Amino acid sequence: MDENIFHNLPLESAEELYENAPCGYISFLADGTIFRINNTLLHLLGYEVKDEIVHVKKIQDLFRIGGKIYFETHFFPLVKIQGFVKEVNFDLVGKDGNFFPALINVNQIPATKTHPVTYRASVIDITHRKKYEMALLEGKEKAEEATRAKADFLSTISHEIRTPLYAIVGIGNLIQNTPLDKLQKEYARILQFSSSNLLELVNNLLDLSKLEASKVKLEKKDFSLFELLEGMMHTFKLRANEKKIKLKKDFPIDLPDHLLGDPIKLNQILTNLFGNAIKFTREGYVKLRIEETQRSDKSISLKFSVSDTGIGIPKDKLKIIFREFSQASYDVNLEFGGTGLGLTISQKLLQMHGSELEVKSEEGKGSEFSFALDFKLSKERLPLQKKNARLMEDLSATGANVLVVDDNPVNLFITSEYLQNWGLRSQTVESGEGALKVVKEKKFDIILMDLHMPKMSGYEAAKAIRDLQQDPQPAIIALSASGRGDINLKMERAGINAYVPKPFNPTELQEVMLQLLKGNNHKSGTEEIFIPARDQTIYQSSLLPLGVPSVNFEKLSQLAKGDQVIFGKLIKNSLQSIKLLKKEFIENAFNENGENLSELMHKNTMTLHYLQGQRISMLLENLREAHRIENSENDLQRLRSLIIEELDEIAATLENEVAE
Amino acid sequence: MSSRKVSAIKRNNVKVLGSGVQPMIFAHGYGCDQNMWRFVFPAFEEDYKIILFDHTGAGNSDESQYSFEKYDTLEGYADDILDICEELDLQDAILVGHSVSAMIAVLAAGKQSQRFAKLILIGPSPRYINDEDYFGGFNREDIDGLMEALDSNYLGWAAQMAPAIIGNGDRPELGEELTNSFCRTNPEIAKHFARVTFLGDNRPDLSTVKIPTLVVQCAEDIIAPREVGEYVHKNITNSKLSVLKATGHCPNLSAPEETIEVMKAFLNQP
Repeated sequence: MDENIFHNLPLESAEELYENAPCGYISFLADGTIFRINNTLLHLLGYEVKDEIVHVKKIQDLFRIGGKIYFETHFFPLVKIQGFVKEVNFDLVGKDGNFFPALINVNQIPATKTHPVTYRASVIDITHRKKYEMALLEGKEKAEEATRAKADFLSTISHEIRTPLYAIVGIGNLIQNTPLDKLQKEYARILQFSSSNLLELVNNLLDLSKLEASKVKLEKKDFSLFELLEGMMHTFKLRANEKKIKLKKDFPIDLPDHLLGDPIKLNQILTNLFGNAIKFTREGYVKLRIEETQRSDKSISLKFSVSDTGIGIPKDKLKIIFREFSQASYDVNLEFGGTGLGLTISQKLLQMHGSELEVKSEEGKGSEFSFALDFKLSKERLPLQKKNARLMEDLSATGANVLVVDDNPVNLFITSEYLQNWGLRSQTVESGEGALKVVKEKKFDIILMDLHMPKMSGYEAAKAIRDLQQDPQPAIIALSASGRGDINLKMERAGINAYVPKPFNPTELQEVMLQLLKGNNHKSGTEEIFIPARDQTIYQSSLLPLGVPSVNFEKLSQLAKGDQVIFGKLIKNSLQSIKLLKKEFIENAFNENGENLSELMHKNTMTLHYLQGQRISMLLENLREAHRIENSENDLQRLRSLIIEELDEIAATLENEVAE
Repeated sequence: MSSRKVSAIKRNNVKVLGSGVQPMIFAHGYGCDQNMWRFVFPAFEEDYKIILFDHTGAGNSDESQYSFEKYDTLEGYADDILDICEELDLQDAILVGHSVSAMIAVLAAGKQSQRFAKLILIGPSPRYINDEDYFGGFNREDIDGLMEALDSNYLGWAAQMAPAIIGNGDRPELGEELTNSFCRTNPEIAKHFARVTFLGDNRPDLSTVKIPTLVVQCAEDIIAPREVGEYVHKNITNSKLSVLKATGHCPNLSAPEETIEVMKAFLNQP
C-alpha cells in the first residue's frame, strides 16, 4: 500500500464536526434568543432549515410550559450564578408539537469587547434511557407499594381494634369503681388486665407499622428526667410487687433533671425493656442503672442499662431477639406471653437516635440491655406536675363545664361517665356541626374533641369554634386514637390546645384539663391528651343529677285537689301502670330493633307526665334514639337495665306511698 | 413547640453584612437561595445593614427543620422572616422579596407592620393561576406540567435519578459527581414549595400592606406577567410600579444595574 495516501487525506473541518456531532449544539443570548444551532439538533427537532429557528425563537420556546417555569426559576439563575449547568433534563418540543426528553449542559461564554455574554448548550436525546429508567422506577414503585399496602393494612386493622378495645378498657376501669362482690372484683381485675395487655399489643403493632412506614419523627422538647423515671418506676412497682421482684435503681447523684430530647420515645424504650425484664424474671430483681459517659455545658451522654436476674437468653438466640415476632423459643412464649415486638420497636427507636440496643445475657442468670443516648441540657424549669390525689379535688373545684364531641356513642358514654365521676358537668354531641351549634348557645370551659369524624372533622370544628371569637375562649383538647405524639402543627393551627391519645389515661386527661383550666390562656399546650365524643341525646341520662327523685307527686295531688281518697286511687293506678309498663317493656322492648318502644312510650305518656318521671322519660327517649342511630348492643343493654332499675325504683316509691 | 426554639439564624443560614444601620432584608425566590442577590446587595452594603438568608429547605438552611406542615402555606416562610427579625432585633427594616418571596414579604409585613419601613417586591404574583376576571398567566394544567418537570427534571440527572433507582447511600459518588453546586434543594421540598407557591392565592393579603411599597416588574416575564404586576400595584394602596427594560423573571441576576437603580430611587424618596 502506498504510504503517501495518508498524507493527502482531507482534514476534518470544525464546521463539519459541529454540524454533525452526535449531540445537538445550540447557542443563545442572555434573553434566550437563539443565534446558532447545529444540524443534529435541527433535525432532532424536526426542522428543515435553520431560518425557522435562528433569530426567530428563544431557547425557552423549545420547552414545555413546566420547563419554561423551571428555566426561569432554576436553570437561568443557576447559569447566571455559577456560569454553567450540567445535565438538566428538559422535554424539548419539536416543530410538530411532539416532544422528547433531552439532557442539556450549558456553558456561559463571557462577554468580550466585540460580543455580549452568550450561552452554548449541548443537547443529548435520552429517549431510550428514559424508557429504561421508567421500567426500573415502575418495578421499584410496585415493590414499595406492596410493602406500603401491607403496612397500611396493619395500621388500619390496629386502629379498628383499638376503638372497641377502648370501650372494653374504659368499662373495665369504670366497673371497678362500682360496688362489686369478691368474685366480680376478680372478674373485673382479669378483664382489666387482659384488655390492657391486648391494648399494649395493638399499640405495639401500630408503632411498628408507623416505624416501618417512616412515619415516626423524633421530637425535641424539654422534659423532666426524674419525673419520667419516677412515673415509670411507679407503673412497674405494682407488677414487681405481685411477682415479689425487687426494683432497684442506680443513678449518679448529680444526674441532671431538665433535658431536651424525646421523652415519649425514651419512655417507650425503657418501658419495653423494663416490662420484659419483669416478665422474664421469676425471682430476684430488676435494676435500672444510669451512667453519665460524657458531659459538657450544653449536653450530656447517658448510658441506660436494664438488668435482671431472669431466665436469660441462649447465646445462639441473642441475634434473633431483635427481629419482629421472635422470642428465644416457643416455650418462652407459652410461659411468659408477649409478642416479641417490644425489642424490635425499641431497637428501631434507638436507631432513629443514631444509637443501638446492646444485650449481654447468660442463660439462667439474667440479661442486661443497654443503650446510650445524648441529650441537650435544658435550662427551662418545668412546673412540677400535680400529684394524683389532689387532681380530682382540684378539677372538681373548677366547676368546669365540658363539651364532649365524638361520633362514637360508646366513646361519648365512657368519657361522660368519667367526667361525671370527676364531678364535672358535661354535655355530649355526636358531630362537629353539633358541637358548633351547641357552643353558640352555651359557654363551655373545655371541649374534648374527637378528630376523625365524618363531614366536619375535629380540626374543622375546632377552627370554626375559634372563629366564633368567644371570650373567654374554651380550651380545646383533641382526643384521638391516631397517635401517641405531641400536639402537632395541624392541631395548633386549628386552635387546639392539647392532645391526649385515646384510650386516655384518666390521670393524664385530668392533668391536662386542670393545666388548661388553671392557665386559662388556651394558647398552645405541649401535653398530649386524648378523648372521644359523639351524641347529644343518648347519654343525657348520666347528666341528670342523682339527687333528683324518680317521681314527684305534686301533679297528682293537684289533680286530687286535696282529696286523700282520690290521691290514693291515683297512686294505685299509677303503680299498676308502671308495673304494666315494666312487663311490656321487658316483653316488647327487648326485641332487636325497638320498634314497639315508641308505642309503649306513647301509651304511658300521661302516667309519666303526672308522676313527673323525668329520668325514666329521658332514659326511654335515649333508648329510642340509640336504636335509631344503631348503637352497639352493649350500649343498648346498658340503657335497658338502667330503665328497668328506674322502673323498679318508681314502683318502690309508689308502693311506699300506698302503704302510708 | 420545639421547632420554635431553634435559632432562626442557624436554621435560615442568615448572613449579616454591610456597614449601615437601617436593616435591609433580602428574601430569595423559588428555586434558588441567597446567591440570587449576589449582584444586587453589594450596592447597598455601604448604607444599610444587609441581611441575607436561605428559606428553610433551600440552599444551606437546616433542612431538618423543614416541615411539610409548617411550610404548607407561605405563612410558614413569613414566620421565619419574623423570627429572624426578632432574633436580630431588626426595626424599621426594608424587606426585599423576589418572586414568591414578594408574597412572603407581604404576609410578614401584614403580620408585623411596625417592624418594616418599606417593601420592595420584585416580580410579585399573588396568584399564578387565572381565575375568572383575574389574569395570573397560568392555568392549572401548566402548573401540573411544572410538577411533572420537577418530578423528572430535577437539576442534575445523576443527582436525581441515580438515588431514585439505586437508592441513596449505596453509591454516593453517582449522586455527587454531576450535582450542581448552587441552588440545591431536596427534590421533595422543591416540589412541595412549588405546589405551595404556584397553587396559592394571596390576593386578599395585598390590601393588608400599608407601608410604602415598590413593585418591580420586568418587561417580559412569563412567571409574573405585566398584568399581574399592575394588579399588585393597584391593590397595594401606597405602592409605586417600576417597569424594567430587562426581560425574564430574575432581573436581580440578568439586569442587576437597572434593578439597583430603581430600588435606590425608591429608597431615596422621602
